[in-house]
Amino acid sequence: MNPTRLLAQSFRTLPRYRLRTAFMMLASFVGAAALTLVISVGEGAKRKTMNTVRQLFGASSILIMGSGTEFMGGPRPDAARFTIDDVEAVAKQVPEIEAWDPQQAMPAASVRHGDATTKARVLGASERFQQVWDRGVVRGETFDLSAVNGSARVALIGQSAARALFATEDPLGAEILIGQVTFKVIGVLEVFGTDLHGMDRDNEVVVPITTLQRRLMNVDTIAAAKLLVRDQDQVAAASKEVQRVLRDRHAIPTGRPDDFRLITAVAVQQMVAKTGRVLDVYLPLVALVALAVGGMVAAALMLVSVNQRIGEIGLRRALGARAEDIGLQFLIETAVTALGGGLLGVAVGSAGALLVAQKMHLGPVFSWKAVLIALVASAVVGLLSGVVPARRAARLLPADSLR
Amino acid sequence: MPIIELKDVAKTYTRPTGETVEALRGVSLSIERGEFVSIVGASGSGKSTLMNILGLLDRPGQGGYRLDGQDVEGIGANEQARLRNRKIGFVFQAFHLLPRTSALENVELPLVYSERDSIDGLGEKALRAVGLGDRMKHSPAELSGGQQQRVAIARALVNEPDLLLADEPSGSLDAKSAAEIMGIFQELNRAGRTIVLITHDAAMAAHGKRIVQLENGRVTSDRPIAARSQDRSTLSGAGQEAK
Repeated sequence: MNPTRLLAQSFRTLPRYRLRTAFMMLASFVGAAALTLVISVGEGAKRKTMNTVRQLFGASSILIMGSGTEFMGGPRPDAARFTIDDVEAVAKQVPEIEAWDPQQAMPAASVRHGDATTKARVLGASERFQQVWDRGVVRGETFDLSAVNGSARVALIGQSAARALFATEDPLGAEILIGQVTFKVIGVLEVFGTDLHGMDRDNEVVVPITTLQRRLMNVDTIAAAKLLVRDQDQVAAASKEVQRVLRDRHAIPTGRPDDFRLITAVAVQQMVAKTGRVLDVYLPLVALVALAVGGMVAAALMLVSVNQRIGEIGLRRALGARAEDIGLQFLIETAVTALGGGLLGVAVGSAGALLVAQKMHLGPVFSWKAVLIALVASAVVGLLSGVVPARRAARLLPADSLR
Repeated sequence: MPIIELKDVAKTYTRPTGETVEALRGVSLSIERGEFVSIVGASGSGKSTLMNILGLLDRPGQGGYRLDGQDVEGIGANEQARLRNRKIGFVFQAFHLLPRTSALENVELPLVYSERDSIDGLGEKALRAVGLGDRMKHSPAELSGGQQQRVAIARALVNEPDLLLADEPSGSLDAKSAAEIMGIFQELNRAGRTIVLITHDAAMAAHGKRIVQLENGRVTSDRPIAARSQDRSTLSGAGQEAK
């Protein structure tokens, strides 16, 4: 027996039984496509989450969310006032805190420049915005302490908002209207991208927190504050202290829940890791089950094929095929079909992953790991599902199968 | 040295029902190179069993079989396969051509299992030898019954075997095609090929040079045929009468 000739034989047989080959390919195609899609998207989502977490937090920070604000969960009902004074007090009493920045926001304020109007998120921050959030300007400058103290009408503009309002015009130095209030653009923000909720974080305008509070929103509360801790190892201890100080200031009796939320990078990473397990283990497991079911379908189809081709098997034996040649041929046929379906599945799964990623703003998500896993899995499933039919075919006695 | 030498070969089957069938009860047969032997018998006479044993598709229960001087009794299944490939060409009643496969690919099938290094051109040569040089790319469905059987003969010849074993080769054919096929066998035999034809049809058997009659698992007669039977026109006539 000549192995290359046998291999060529198996390849020639497949198109001869088009419908069966198509169904067998479909069986591994579905599993491989699902596996590729799930792993690629899972990896992309995890990378995106980690990136955003890193962008938002760094490793050593604490986020305080005031009541009524939303972050990775629903709003809290029992409103209490969360103010800049609260954060100032916290910063004074917790020595581990290096810097902090308060935040208040209008989620969709109408912003105008000349005839152009857009809806953008207007964010109030302190002069420490750049330091605390690690997001500066690419052009122009940020506002300083005096601007914050004086409730100056100056604004930093995100690049999406700038495009909407100015098109190709230079926004620096121009005037924009937020609501009824005129602001002067003094800086263009660095690109951030989309966040976990798919929100475009470049469609933003950042103004001094005091200006936002007094001139635009007429509130004296803040939505959140970010605290930078000097040392990563101090985050847990510092966050306990922050909690104590805030409970004191809000006079919350023992046994009552906090009226604020503390979020640390560690907590977020734990949460992400937990979600990651769903993406890493359970979804691929489901896809693997699909592939295994596909393998059983392929095995059943191949068994039927062995029965249909008893005459052919007998003939090949008469012409000099050994039992193992017959078995090998059926094994190759099953494996090649499964692998073919797997290849198609990987292609379609990767394309699907790109589409899903685009919808979810995950950026490109092609994953060699996913391709490798899906191909190996479909090849293994193909081989396994070929074993039983191949043995059945090899065991047929030549004299019996020629009858 | 005879190419086939059977000595007291017996074969007993056990049916799934538990019933035992004595298909062959002591057959001795010697066939020399270049012979054209017809083995005739009614169904149940044991001729299929004999064909399977001669073709190394089955083993004798008792007795000895020497193929081309080699005792094949104790050899393994893989060695049997190798000998089938090298020494025996099969022609079946049902043609056994692979569907949706060109004549040429069908003919080349034995070469897949051959130890030859080069198989280029062998398939074409065999097809031309049976007069189908212009039908190489045709699939069986595009060929007449007679042409299909000629493809099968080309397949049997492609590996240059010592022995051609034909089991009711004309059983599925009309009289004209049957006569053509028999003509091919006679030509091959004239060119020196050893042919064993197994049939229940006395008229077809008459194309051989020697007739072995099988009844109830035993050889009941073994005689040469007069040279006159070799005349082709007479034979075609005989074939038509038999239908």
